[in-house]
Amino acid sequence: MATTTVTLPAKSESAWRSPLISVVPGVLLLAAIGYAGKFLEHFLNASAKAHHWRFPNIEYVLWAILIGLAIGNTIGLPILFEAGVATYEFWLKLGIVLLGARFVLADVLKLGGISVVLVVIEITLSLALMTLLGRFFKLKPKLTSLLAIGSSVCGVSAIIAAKGAIDADDEDSSFAIAAILALGALSLFTFPAIAHSLHMNDVSYGLWAGLGVDNTAEATAAGALYSDAAGKVAVLAKTARNAMIGFVVLAYAIYWAGRGQAEAVSNKSVFLWRKFPKFILGFLLMSLLVSFHAFSKAQVTSLGNLSKWAFLLTFAGVGLRTNFRHMMKQGLRPFIVGALGEVLIACLTLGLVVTANRVWGV
Amino acid sequence: MPTIVTRNSSRKKETLFSLDLWAVIVALALALAVKSDILKNVPW
Repeated sequence: MATTTVTLPAKSESAWRSPLISVVPGVLLLAAIGYAGKFLEHFLNASAKAHHWRFPNIEYVLWAILIGLAIGNTIGLPILFEAGVATYEFWLKLGIVLLGARFVLADVLKLGGISVVLVVIEITLSLALMTLLGRFFKLKPKLTSLLAIGSSVCGVSAIIAAKGAIDADDEDSSFAIAAILALGALSLFTFPAIAHSLHMNDVSYGLWAGLGVDNTAEATAAGALYSDAAGKVAVLAKTARNAMIGFVVLAYAIYWAGRGQAEAVSNKSVFLWRKFPKFILGFLLMSLLVSFHAFSKAQVTSLGNLSKWAFLLTFAGVGLRTNFRHMMKQGLRPFIVGALGEVLIACLTLGLVVTANRVWGV
Repeated sequence: MPTIVTRNSSRKKETLFSLDLWAVIVALALALAVKSDILKNVPW
């Protein structure tokens, strides 16, 4: 079947290049949806208590995502709000940096150390698995590379970083991004349900969400859907995974350059630094400041709450930008490969976390 | 004939990393505001 590809300019650039005022409506929409989620959680819980209803406790995270999904997939997002909604990624990173204040460096080193070991195993196995699946389903080699990078490291950011480095088509990147986003949306509902049925503790579940859910926003949301503590651990594990982005993309860039299908990497250190997600340094700096008692207990609580407000805007954005119709249009085969890979990676990371729980008692 | 609409993300790559630095700068500004009690007892 013939396919036409139309390339449009990057959607999010307007958010950062046009006057600040253009982002205001979208940011207000994110805040309104996020706050509505928070309000619904309290209102329904209070009503259930007052009227002795049996009503499950649905967290604000899920409400914010569901309201966003409902708006994005029914009336759609008016253009006026697009620039502001695209800032959800900024709020995510701001929330992660501020969350550094909730970890003393010893915690980061202990949990982060365990995470790094698990991340290295997860990345190796995921890359191998997705490559095998891509070959088996006869996907285009560069699309297979993008799916492997996206599912092993950090979702959309990794795919965008790899796209330029391995000189992949826009079409392949858009396939891979759609598959990763669709599967990320599914994991928001499946991961907490599976964890509850397995009675996982907060740390184990947080590690699993951080290792098994691809996109940082979805991993953060999947963690927070379980509990506040699980959300913290999920962010830490995901951050450890994000730190590996440069190494994985560099390996693929060298592989494709060796085949004459991408530009050769001249300076590997500069390449690694360019691809390194700098907000991780902010997270570590914040944790360092807290470890040296730069803030009082009340101030740490305030920083933690600011982080929660930033995440609230992110969760609203996750719902709003998930458009199932667009995803369906991207074709079924990459989605099937992605879905198969993700299910296997989820089982694999669950096995890793259970093993870590037995070995290190986390 | 299906049409695949893609977005040219080469410029997003640029903003993606400057976004990181903005997030760190804003977070540090907020931390300073909390430290100097300009932002006090932030509720949740």
